[in-house]
Amino acid sequence: MLIRPVGDDFRVIAFYLGRIFLVIAGAGILPLAWAAVAREWNPFGSFLLMIGLFALLGVIGVRLAPPESKLNWSHGMVVVALTWLIVPVIGAIPLLLSGHFGRPLDAFFDAVSGLTTTGLSLLGDVDHLASSLNFWRHMLQFLGGQGIILAALSIFAGTGGITLYFGEARDERILPSVTSTARFIWAVSVVHLVFGVTALGLVGWLVLGFDIDRAAFHGLMIFFAGFDTGGFSPQSTSIGYYHSAIFESFTSVLMVAGAMSFGLHYALWRGPRRAVFANLETRTILSTFGLTMALTLLGLAATDVFVSAAGLTRQGFFQILSAHTGTGFSTIPSIELAGWGGLAFGGMAIAMALGGMGSSTAGGVKSLRIGLTIKTVVNQIRQVLLPEHAVVGTAYHQSGRKHLTPNLIQSVMTISLLYVALYLLGAGMGLAYGIPLQAALFESVSASANVGLSIGVTDPSMPIPLELVYMLQMWAGRLEFVAVFSLLGFLYAWARGK
Amino acid sequence: MTTGFLLLAGPALATEEVSVEELVEQAAGLAGEEVTVEGELVGDYGFRDDGWMWTQLNGDVYVDEPIREGGSPLGANTGIGIRMPIEFAEGLDPPGRYRSRGPVVLATGTWKYHDPERQGESFLEVEALVVVEPGRQLSEHADWKVIVSGALLISGAAAIGFARPRV
Repeated sequence: MLIRPVGDDFRVIAFYLGRIFLVIAGAGILPLAWAAVAREWNPFGSFLLMIGLFALLGVIGVRLAPPESKLNWSHGMVVVALTWLIVPVIGAIPLLLSGHFGRPLDAFFDAVSGLTTTGLSLLGDVDHLASSLNFWRHMLQFLGGQGIILAALSIFAGTGGITLYFGEARDERILPSVTSTARFIWAVSVVHLVFGVTALGLVGWLVLGFDIDRAAFHGLMIFFAGFDTGGFSPQSTSIGYYHSAIFESFTSVLMVAGAMSFGLHYALWRGPRRAVFANLETRTILSTFGLTMALTLLGLAATDVFVSAAGLTRQGFFQILSAHTGTGFSTIPSIELAGWGGLAFGGMAIAMALGGMGSSTAGGVKSLRIGLTIKTVVNQIRQVLLPEHAVVGTAYHQSGRKHLTPNLIQSVMTISLLYVALYLLGAGMGLAYGIPLQAALFESVSASANVGLSIGVTDPSMPIPLELVYMLQMWAGRLEFVAVFSLLGFLYAWARGK
Repeated sequence: MTTGFLLLAGPALATEEVSVEELVEQAAGLAGEEVTVEGELVGDYGFRDDGWMWTQLNGDVYVDEPIREGGSPLGANTGIGIRMPIEFAEGLDPPGRYRSRGPVVLATGTWKYHDPERQGESFLEVEALVVVEPGRQLSEHADWKVIVSGALLISGAAAIGFARPRV
């Protein structure tokens, strides 16, 4: 029997949402200060409004705390799903008031895209956007990539943290407690931030010849979007703006670091490094990257677009790395990407769909699920080929020796199939609006896997229903479905339960 | 728009004039061609040790109708990378950014499409540059209603947050 949620259920949810909103209100002080220093008074006002709304909703939520605020699994999932809907609504206010969007939904689209680290954008004239707004867009990617919930968990400990942690599509606890795991993840990120911004800033200043303040600005923006596999950039021509192999190399390192699971970061920092390469996930992602890279390069070589091997390799490598890590940076215009057919298109689309590692900032099906799916299929074939009573080994290595269990296989298959369904949903919607199959599929996979590469379908003139579907894809894809279904179940129970 | 020409540098060349949009759309077909494009310089001027200055040239609706002056947001920018000898950049107004419209120029040069010498980068190598319109500042007005609303909301949140709960 469905049990209808009661007042205390809503109050627990409001309490945790309130705490998270207060954390976001605190984070909003950074772009506010940026706007004040840069004397950008229009964005300054809009940040003040945004912080005020977050703070007001936050304190109201906290005030609603029931006497015993026990967060169960369902509450936690609902909190996560609602957080990822409400934060972009309020976070879109500065974007909307900037005048760079034609309709309010477009500003919300960009906030969802930023927070889910997708990188698709409907913003008009990014080349003249205020620096504080650029900072906010990129900071949204940083918050979303690290996990808003994770940010909140790092600050407030308490019961229910584990539910919130898993709800945000993280499936490994690196340290004994969720709070210490959250703090470790932030420590890794801060170290990368310091080194990443310094390296990119120095390249911008010393190699590209930018003014030092602008070099630091570009370094910070590209770090946020690269390490969190987000793909926004402060200039309309993305990484192609920099015309620099060295800058692309540093950006590539950040993209790889972002697509690595934080468990792998931990192993590289603290554990035996050799064991990292024994992991099923590491082997899978190296194999799929090699395969999609080969497909793309072969496809591009057949088109004669690049007349030199160096050009083919540099441009092909960067686009495929960006696609596989789910970042969405590019060094070529979207109109040219749209012309990639055959193997090159296939390589890019497959790379986007597969995505990075689990518990990373990347999207897509994720390498561990791909590896486990392949292992399951191989085991099934071996079982058929071997004598009837033969036992097929189910062990695999992933941070230690583990076994494939029926429950694990079911979970892996279910999530993988849901991703395929999500890819087809957006593609079908695109086809219904007369978009050619290749473009519809590419854009749909890009939205669902939180990549952000576009071949021109995502545009302010796109139909609103298609825009809504892409937003749904970004949201569900980032949360890996569980929290989304929990929210739907909670609403159904509220409407039909007893 | 083409009033007050100022030849900055390079010889005058009789070449095909194309828009930035046409250049991006027909990038392969115009590879190696001498072309003239008109647009706004935006972003940064990157002065490199090898004697080149790199920047971006935009040719979109925002050149004539900046959003800060009431232009409508009609989608993404259309721009290309350009490089020119550093001496061409002397005297150029700052590039377009927030609150500033960069200089609008006519740039004549060779369209390098996936240039093998630069590992597949595409850009216009400028041989002559004419400033059509100098750069200028764009106005920004603070919206006091928004600022006051934000301050009121924060005050309200603080009042609720610090109020003693009823027993």
